[in-house]
Amino acid sequence: MSTAKATNPLREGLLSRSAPEPCSLVIFGATGDLTHRKLVPALYNLAADGALPPSISVVGFARREKTDEQFRTELEEAARKFSRQKINDDLWANFSGGIYYHRSEFTNLEGYESLARRLDELDAQRGTRGNRLFYLSAGPDQFPVILENLRKSGLNQAREGSWSRVIVEKPFGIDLPSAIALNDMVEGSFAERDTFRIDHYLGKETAQNIMVLRFANAIFEQVWNARYLHHVQITASEPLGVEGRAGYYDKSGAMRDMVQNHLLQLLCLTAMEPPTDLTADAIRDEKVKVLRSLRPLTGPDVARHVVRARYAAGSVNGKDVVGYLDEANIPADSQTETYVALEAHIDNWRWAGVPFFIRVGKRLPKAATEIALHFKSVPPVLFAQTGDAIDDNVLVIRIQPDEGVSLRMSAKLPGSALRIEPVKMDFHYGTSFGKATPEAYERLLLDAMAGDATLFARRDEVEQAWKFVDAIRAAWDSGEGGPVVSYAAGTWGPDEADALVQASGATWRRL
Amino acid sequence: MTDDPAANLGFPVEVGRIEKELGKLWESIGDKTRASLINLAIYTESAAGVARNTDLISQIASEHACRAILIYARPEAPERGVRAWINAHCHAANKKEFCSEQITFQIDGDSPSALTNVVFAHLDSDLPLCFWWQGPFREPLDPRFWTWIDRLIFDSNAWDDPATQFGLVQKIAHLGDARTVLCDLNWTRLLSLRQGLAHFFDNACALPSLRRIDRVEITHAPGARTSAILLLGWLAHQLGWTLDSVLGRHAFRDRNHAEITFSLEEARGACISKCRLTAGESEFTLDRSAQGEFYHASMHGPECGESSQLLPAGRDRIHETLLMELSRAGKHPLYLKALSTVTPLLA
Repeated sequence: MSTAKATNPLREGLLSRSAPEPCSLVIFGATGDLTHRKLVPALYNLAADGALPPSISVVGFARREKTDEQFRTELEEAARKFSRQKINDDLWANFSGGIYYHRSEFTNLEGYESLARRLDELDAQRGTRGNRLFYLSAGPDQFPVILENLRKSGLNQAREGSWSRVIVEKPFGIDLPSAIALNDMVEGSFAERDTFRIDHYLGKETAQNIMVLRFANAIFEQVWNARYLHHVQITASEPLGVEGRAGYYDKSGAMRDMVQNHLLQLLCLTAMEPPTDLTADAIRDEKVKVLRSLRPLTGPDVARHVVRARYAAGSVNGKDVVGYLDEANIPADSQTETYVALEAHIDNWRWAGVPFFIRVGKRLPKAATEIALHFKSVPPVLFAQTGDAIDDNVLVIRIQPDEGVSLRMSAKLPGSALRIEPVKMDFHYGTSFGKATPEAYERLLLDAMAGDATLFARRDEVEQAWKFVDAIRAAWDSGEGGPVVSYAAGTWGPDEADALVQASGATWRRL
Repeated sequence: MTDDPAANLGFPVEVGRIEKELGKLWESIGDKTRASLINLAIYTESAAGVARNTDLISQIASEHACRAILIYARPEAPERGVRAWINAHCHAANKKEFCSEQITFQIDGDSPSALTNVVFAHLDSDLPLCFWWQGPFREPLDPRFWTWIDRLIFDSNAWDDPATQFGLVQKIAHLGDARTVLCDLNWTRLLSLRQGLAHFFDNACALPSLRRIDRVEITHAPGARTSAILLLGWLAHQLGWTLDSVLGRHAFRDRNHAEITFSLEEARGACISKCRLTAGESEFTLDRSAQGEFYHASMHGPECGESSQLLPAGRDRIHETLLMELSRAGKHPLYLKALSTVTPLLA
């Protein structure tokens, strides 16, 4: 690995993070949606910010016949549409000069061997120094053959003084056995330190801010425990239905699609202990401890603590929408859930007795992802005679949209009478810091080029999360876990989910 | 401003009633949200600077909500007195309107205590005080005033006598507990350039050349010589060079006493339009056209071959430089070190 950051004296004071190193980024599945909507706009924005390494080549690897020039033209159109910064023609011309297309079937070993020769040529031309970053943006069913051929062609082996890394997009398997198999397969080609499993939620500014909020503010960490908190709610809602992803979604469902990765990652960041330092493994060690402390939900417990549901016909944003079972390409006998609400418990000293309520769903009234920490009530002594119910304090971390933090507290209404009302202190990233925050993929690509795995999921994190989720799914499959109930599209979910939180004396937040 | 300062400064108010009048102002503007992250004070002795700074505050407030305190000082005015105006700058963001407030003071007569008082009496509590001092620094330096400032902003490009002014800046840096962060906009302006130069040497093949630099050429705009000198100072400090001045001829010596020559050339265009480092047969050049948003970064030499890249150059407009400074936070630990390396060149 290069030590440019450590020895470049001109970097002192200019960079508070690891410097990305010159490399060739090879994207498998380069003609897909992710490359066009996210990866290339992210790379362009990094170029516009001067954040890319001094030399970089981007090589698209896909099956369709295409020239370099055709590929560049397609990507330019996508970048103009999806980039957060306006495209500057000069910069695009300069940036796109380093984009290439390599046509091959994923199954064709010769394609990888010719890729290796081409990367060597690019190293010589562009100074990318033999560093390789392989991005698996193809369907997960293609991962095995791609990894196998990377190994057979020797592309997984870095030369002396260089590195070879792989970025794996979710889903990381569909259950624990498949995740283990996938991880074994990745491990057969790349060491864990060279494996970067992307969960783009972790690249979001607000997700990164959770640690700062907790550990850089004395006021919060002191009350961040069972002594002061009544419960925690983690919500990810969206008004969208399955859109064009029926095939994938019906096999996945909300539990696999969202809970296993994004929501459990947010839970870990919320519940973890302070890490010993800010290195990738120190942080990930603490997150894994949270997952290990999650009380397993099995058998009949699942029916009591987990609600699964799917949307029925209803109205979203003023338009009538069909129910899940009437969506195109969804089987009539589908048992897939589009909504999950669950009550999780973390069995450790900090969180004993504090329920973590997680809810995620499609066709809910609005898009919102947030973490809400609900504090215990004040003793009903001083203000009982006012007759006003005093709302509990709530600290809310909004992940998206309108990233920010708010605190609900009680205040006296002006006037001679003693009346108490809730008020909100609100911090908005957008208005406080003005400039547009970088897309999650910008940060994550840069981190992978720098070899910083802090914001990527480690193997044991992924497998622990599957262990928790698989137990719930097993109960569903056996019938012990309760039926799939329904909720009208455009509402906040089924009555059963309300009952779930009410049993602990809570109510879902009105977002 | 000299005759009727009320033109675009909002409502004239009594100095003792400013907070109350601000309260009324917020009531009158309905459901817009008052926002403030910092106290941004600006001191100017220029009548033209009042309108210019009011525009600037409006631009800054769109990205950096603040309580702005604009002070127009007329130390030469025959009679002492203080007048005040209040105003609000509102901007839409996320479907809501957010407003920052501006308090403008005109301070007549030479009265440092009036300045101290109007600033301290009207700060939004617990928020950092960023003070842009657009006038010349003068002695005596009152520690009770200067040490209360969290970020002292100034622009060394605007100084007629940089040697004296830099001397006073260094004194301010050592007043009291010295917690004030010195923010020279001239240093901020060099950020993209410093990043661009550093970028060359992130490349491991180029790194050894850094220790073999034998010549530095900088082309700067008329009036931007101090920018070029600060850039030289940064390079010299980071690379361990010392300035060697013999009979009016200046050159640097590296740790092995090898000579590094330099040239500062004036040409119309960007603040720094070109910087070239030469190390034997290797050359590293950042080149920027007059209106260009990017540096053309090119390097060639036996170790790395030839390559070129576009890197962001930032913009020289003052509100963008100020926004960059306000957005970066943190200290500037290398600034005074860079400055002290090249002090003799400022004379």
